[in-house]
Amino acid sequence: MRLLHNYQYVAAMLLFCIGLYTIIVRRNIIKKLIGLNIMETAVFFFYISLGYLDGGIAPIRVGGADPSRMVNPIPQALILTGIVVAVSVTALALALVILLYRQYGTLDVDRLFRDEEKEPESGTERGGTA
Amino acid sequence: MGTALNLIFIVLMVATALLAVFARDLLAAVIIFSVYSLIMALMWQRLQAPDLALTEAAVGAGVTTVLFVVAIFKTRRREEE
Amino acid sequence: MKSVVSLLFIAALLGLLLYVVAYMPPMGDPENPTNSSDVTTRYLEKAEEETHTVNAITGIILNYRGYDTMGEVSVIFCALAAVLAVLGREKRGKIYAYADRSRVPSSVIVRTMVAFLVPFIILFSIYTILHGELSPGGGFQGGAIIGASMIIFTTIFGLYESSERIPQKLRFPLEGSAFITFFVVGVLGLVGGGNFLTYAWPNIATDLQPAVVLWLTILVEIGIGVGGAMVLISILFSMIREEEEIAVAP
Repeated sequence: MRLLHNYQYVAAMLLFCIGLYTIIVRRNIIKKLIGLNIMETAVFFFYISLGYLDGGIAPIRVGGADPSRMVNPIPQALILTGIVVAVSVTALALALVILLYRQYGTLDVDRLFRDEEKEPESGTERGGTA
Repeated sequence: MGTALNLIFIVLMVATALLAVFARDLLAAVIIFSVYSLIMALMWQRLQAPDLALTEAAVGAGVTTVLFVVAIFKTRRREEE
Repeated sequence: MKSVVSLLFIAALLGLLLYVVAYMPPMGDPENPTNSSDVTTRYLEKAEEETHTVNAITGIILNYRGYDTMGEVSVIFCALAAVLAVLGREKRGKIYAYADRSRVPSSVIVRTMVAFLVPFIILFSIYTILHGELSPGGGFQGGAIIGASMIIFTTIFGLYESSERIPQKLRFPLEGSAFITFFVVGVLGLVGGGNFLTYAWPNIATDLQPAVVLWLTILVEIGIGVGGAMVLISILFSMIREEEEIAVAP
């Protein structure tokens, strides 16, 4: 039983569950997006701490650094791509949130599902944006 | 020493994540989320990943937070009950 | 009701995940299956000779695993395309809405400090892009820092001023520059040596080969940096613009 030795994995799982709770329970869409970002960073944290070496050094080879003491560079290269994808998803989701507010006037998911059968409110709608 | 610093960072991360989830004012939640990004960037440096620390600091505090603030400015600020 | 059921579900999921974590190999052990594989050892030992970069991570993402980086830049370009399809660009030429000219009310101190700091931030980001293979840094990091500096400028001085500095006719051709640079370098590899995305130049002497690899890597990094910066700035301008036409600019 290595729960105390693997405390970083435990922290990553805890953060993942906090993010998942936010997405399920909170009703505001922007709160759900914050939860999505917390889940993504928790997964990245878990993945990078898999490749950690006790007493390791960064994988940059300056000044005669010893390659056998460096931490694993492959997870870091993969998670760099993951961070870029996370910021793209957040940007697109926020653009959709702005459009949703213009059409319906509310950001509460329960009210959006209840009003879905009726027509969208014409409070801020005009004949199409550019 | 190393383990104690890691534990302090992890406790701070979980605390700021919980505060960001349970805040009613959306602008406060987003600012606390940017503090969470900062502590995560420091944690990347503790795991000997300097490229990721730079990326997380630039993206988390510079881009994601401001996009959230712009979206809150265009919609409403308080969470509805 | 929904809150109680979801709390139980998440507690069960957390219990299952902690059970899995308790039986994983210990963290930081050099005999882990992830740390002792042959691929890792080869990448760490041969990265400097084969890719001619000191930073092993830049060598991996631009040379050994270049396809993944090509996919990443296409993802960020697709995000820009989708945001523009949803929200639309600001008007070309003069800004028509009066609301776009307005700036956040701020004091003289803030405006002076921002106007003083933005050139230094851009200088630092150019340094980060060009030093990607010698120190922590790289293409996308520099692009994100340029984007962050333009975001600060837009918030304090207004969309109109910011759109004069980086106009649309500069952003249009440069948004796709990341993917186009990758594609051109890849086709150069096809023409000059072997596979797609092998860094080679057609008909060049063998002892100039390290210089060719180094310069093409720097070129790809500049492409990713500029492309990423323009994408982030365009996304910000689309989200911040007002869509009402209140007054026509003279």
